[in-house]
Amino acid sequence: MTSRRSFYRKIAYLVAIALLLLPLFWLSVPATKDSAGGVLARSRAECGLSEAQLGEIDPTSETIKLATFGLRGVAANVLWEKANRYNMKKDWTNLSATLEQIAKLEPHFIPVWRFQAWRVSYNVSAEFDDYRGRYRWVIKGINFLKEGIRYNENEPVLYWDVGWFTAQKIGRADEHKQFRRLFKEDDDFHGSRPRELRDNWLVGKESFAEAEELVEAGASLRKMSPVLFYSEQPMCQMNYSEALEEEGIFEEKARLSWNQAGRQWHQYGAREIPTSFGDVIRLNDRGASLDRVAELRAQLEEMVPPGLREQIVEERKARLTDAERQVMEIPVSERTMEQHQTAAAVDQKLRVTDEQLAERLTGDQRSLGLELAKKLAETERIADIIGRYQDIVNFEYWRRRADLEQTPQALLARKRIYEARQAFEEQTNLRLAKEKYEEGLTAWRALLDSEQFPGLVQDRDLGRDLIEMIQTYRRILDACDEPFPQDFILQDVVDLHKDQLEQPWPEDGAKEGSN
Amino acid sequence: MPVETEIIPFLQWLPGAVLYWLLAVVILTVAASLLGLLVAAVEYGPWAAVGKTWRVVTAGVADVVRISPRRVWALTRLAVKESVRRRVVVVFAVFILVLAFAGLFLDPGNPNPARLYLSFVLTATSYLVLLLALFLSAFSLPTDIRTRTLHTVVTKPVRPSEVVLGRMLGFTIIGTGLLLIMALVSYGFVVQGLGHTHTLTAEDLRSVGQAEGSQPRFQIGKTSQDRRHRHQVMIEASGQGRTDVDQGHWHESSVTGSGTDVRYKVGPPKDMLVARVPVYGSLRFRDPEGIDRPEGINVGDEWSYRGFIQGGSPAALIWSFQDVDERTFPEGLPVEMTIGVFRTHKGVIERGILGSVSLRNPRTGLTVELEVFESKEFATKELTIPRKITKFVASPQVVPRKEETPEGVKFTPQQADLDLSLAERREFDLFEDLVDDGRLEVWVRCLEPGQYFGAAQADLYLRAADAPFVLNFVKGYFGIWLQMVLVIGFGVMFSTFLSGSVAMIATLGALVGGFFSQFMTELARGQVHGGGPLEAATRLVMQENLMSELESGVWTTIMQMADTVLKGGLWVISSILPAFGRFSYTEYVAYGFDISRELLLMRSVNAVAFLLPVFVAAYFFLKIREVAR
Repeated sequence: MTSRRSFYRKIAYLVAIALLLLPLFWLSVPATKDSAGGVLARSRAECGLSEAQLGEIDPTSETIKLATFGLRGVAANVLWEKANRYNMKKDWTNLSATLEQIAKLEPHFIPVWRFQAWRVSYNVSAEFDDYRGRYRWVIKGINFLKEGIRYNENEPVLYWDVGWFTAQKIGRADEHKQFRRLFKEDDDFHGSRPRELRDNWLVGKESFAEAEELVEAGASLRKMSPVLFYSEQPMCQMNYSEALEEEGIFEEKARLSWNQAGRQWHQYGAREIPTSFGDVIRLNDRGASLDRVAELRAQLEEMVPPGLREQIVEERKARLTDAERQVMEIPVSERTMEQHQTAAAVDQKLRVTDEQLAERLTGDQRSLGLELAKKLAETERIADIIGRYQDIVNFEYWRRRADLEQTPQALLARKRIYEARQAFEEQTNLRLAKEKYEEGLTAWRALLDSEQFPGLVQDRDLGRDLIEMIQTYRRILDACDEPFPQDFILQDVVDLHKDQLEQPWPEDGAKEGSN
Repeated sequence: MPVETEIIPFLQWLPGAVLYWLLAVVILTVAASLLGLLVAAVEYGPWAAVGKTWRVVTAGVADVVRISPRRVWALTRLAVKESVRRRVVVVFAVFILVLAFAGLFLDPGNPNPARLYLSFVLTATSYLVLLLALFLSAFSLPTDIRTRTLHTVVTKPVRPSEVVLGRMLGFTIIGTGLLLIMALVSYGFVVQGLGHTHTLTAEDLRSVGQAEGSQPRFQIGKTSQDRRHRHQVMIEASGQGRTDVDQGHWHESSVTGSGTDVRYKVGPPKDMLVARVPVYGSLRFRDPEGIDRPEGINVGDEWSYRGFIQGGSPAALIWSFQDVDERTFPEGLPVEMTIGVFRTHKGVIERGILGSVSLRNPRTGLTVELEVFESKEFATKELTIPRKITKFVASPQVVPRKEETPEGVKFTPQQADLDLSLAERREFDLFEDLVDDGRLEVWVRCLEPGQYFGAAQADLYLRAADAPFVLNFVKGYFGIWLQMVLVIGFGVMFSTFLSGSVAMIATLGALVGGFFSQFMTELARGQVHGGGPLEAATRLVMQENLMSELESGVWTTIMQMADTVLKGGLWVISSILPAFGRFSYTEYVAYGFDISRELLLMRSVNAVAFLLPVFVAAYFFLKIREVAR
């Protein structure tokens, strides 16, 4: 009897197991060529989460993951801790090995690739005194990111990082001259890439372009700001053009490069950029938006009886308290903090908005006016957002810079300044350096005075550039034992941008040449 | 290689270590006897307990002293046979499997592949062998007791001490055999894995400088890229040359033949697998005022291993060596150094920071500046100082040592005793003029103002000789063997009174605790930020960082008081567990440094010091068990 009961019990267990296997099968049957698989397989495919969709499948990585017996997180944590320790002890051999292991353990965790690549290219490389060692580690970080791309083919941020490291780390480091030279000579990195294309800005630009393509194909930008994300490709062209001139390449090659940069900057400005305010803007549209604001305001002003705005202001003034009036009578420079706050509140009270103005209209004019005021506020808001986004990437400066730099005068001015600097640095012919500098500064004067670029002298970024040139010119004069000219050709630039000088400009009375 | 704790000479270390050991053994013996007495007193009354305890102790001493080697050997063979039956060969199969896949995750582009490969094989072997030792030792006796196999043994005239010793020896023999095979396979794997060469063609080379007869003075160029690296190569007019050092090795290269029959050859890697025998000195720092200090400047490194000195000033890194003689260094002094660099300004980017190496006689103060060098961080600079010194970069000087004392600055030799005429000579003999009774100082200075040089004691040494790498590799495996024997000892001891799985967990605990004993000691001594165990747990839960002050209150006070007790417990545990990490010589082998006899002796004595009490404890545990009576 007992053995029969035991037999039945076993049968019951078997049936229960078989029944439980059914939902398991329904859930997790793997996908094949002919079938989409179970619920999990289909869901993986829909969300693009299967290994094959994410990137290359690596048996080593899979083996390591399996070997941790489900303790992948713990293992990664231990390895991360080890990496920190090796980094602290400057044990680069073990650090490299540990980073490889972490990446293999968590190949689809994007921050691992980004963080560790940054650590290698920026932090570890800086530990090396020899610039060749530093370069090697910068490249190691870039290769690490490329390895990450192998596992995560649809991650635009990784491509973007490759672009950033290649462009910015190599092109902007203190040792960028040496890095750019080594980069051009690096056959192992470039493989069959032609020598003339081995410029870090151009290679970086390729990666930024790949990142953009992925986003356009629907990949997520994660938390990256679109305005910055899209700016890097044209900025690479700008930086490439600058680098050409820094290395003494002017004329047609530089002109064409600036021309291309200008075109690409315009294309960037024409791109639809989603903003954090929920609007979609185009950076090129700021001018048009401001024009539209002016047009709408003119229409509204036409409808408003003359003197209405002033009348409203007067009415509001009459309603101010005695205390508020007293504060407004105190000169701004003598106000206390509390008085400043009161004054700001009063200003706010006295400000007449377009909507408030329209509300005072009567009859049909009122509804028309209100409609117009609403449009005006909205257009003004958009223009303001575009302005803010333009400021993030210094949009107007670079637009104007690309236009300016491709003019023959600018190319000539840059060339002369370059030649002068070369002569000064080599200390071969100071007189020649001075002459070339003066020719260059004269060419700049012509550009600042040209009608093609009105208000250029006020541009702060260009002002900084010019101030730097002027300071070198001063050093050349010092070396020639000559006084700084009293009627200096770019004195207006000095007066406007004196605050950007590295060293204080001598006071008028103490100016050289004044005696 | 960072040597964070100085290795004391064996004979200097021994007396203190023996004293400490005896103290620990006495405390443990007294504690164990008192515990036995207490248990016996509860069971048989106080007077009977004393008698019983005395009998157990005397019988124990007799048992240990009268061990029969013949019976031990028989039991050892039994343990070996049992291990073989339990398929220890599986561990070897796993090892081979690991090695077979190792090539996939050992990056040949690593800055030092030899270090990586050696670390890997030694670590993998040690993990597998320790696991094997753990399982074999922890499960053996409990299984025998459960299956009653042991009953057939204990009915024979064998002593419990012989059973314990037989097990320990048996498992050790099995582990040793396995370790030997693993060492052989590992060696083959490392040599095979690292062996490579490069190709060189006429297109890779260009001629530099034209000697007489329009023959190029040198040919320089690059080798092919293999194993993710390539070398710069320079071949002299004779056709012989060598590559630069990359990934911790270099190659000999040569060009033979001429015209269409020219052949280029790059040899196997050199200096990849070495075992340098270093002679270390003691390091002190001279500050910019010329006064000697025990520590250098901290330039903001989190790891304060290296101290720095200011460039363009009298500051210097000074290594004092003892026992420097002609017999040890007949060819002159081979100096190797790895100097750290810290720049406070860019300086000249294209080249390293300039520094100089000088020798100083500690008695006379005669200082000769021998060489100006360009720094190269994280690379070892080799320098051979000849016996006859005729070339120096600056005029010799007589420099006294300056130290701050409570009485003021002390000069050695004193200003009045300085023999300035010594510096007027233009030729010096290394051993006659600069070495004084075996003592010699090596000074390294940074020559550029605003830049800093840094070093630790082990960063400059005299390379006395090179030991055979194979021997060093074997020594590395000897370290693993010591670890294995200790694990077997603990495993057998725990298995005498615990069931198999519990014994395994206990041994694993001892192993893990032993690996972290250093941390536990630091925790117990309050040298770790974040407080004791309870405080650390509270910080974790409250998401407080390690440095923030905890709110004062009753709970904090109670917690910190409880931590004091727990820390005491941690100190006891960390003191009685072997620090397994110290038995590992992986770093020495991987970094290419000879494992000294002193170190081997110290660790061997250490292991014996642990094994003896473990054996005695195992004997008593087995003796008081029912089955053994």
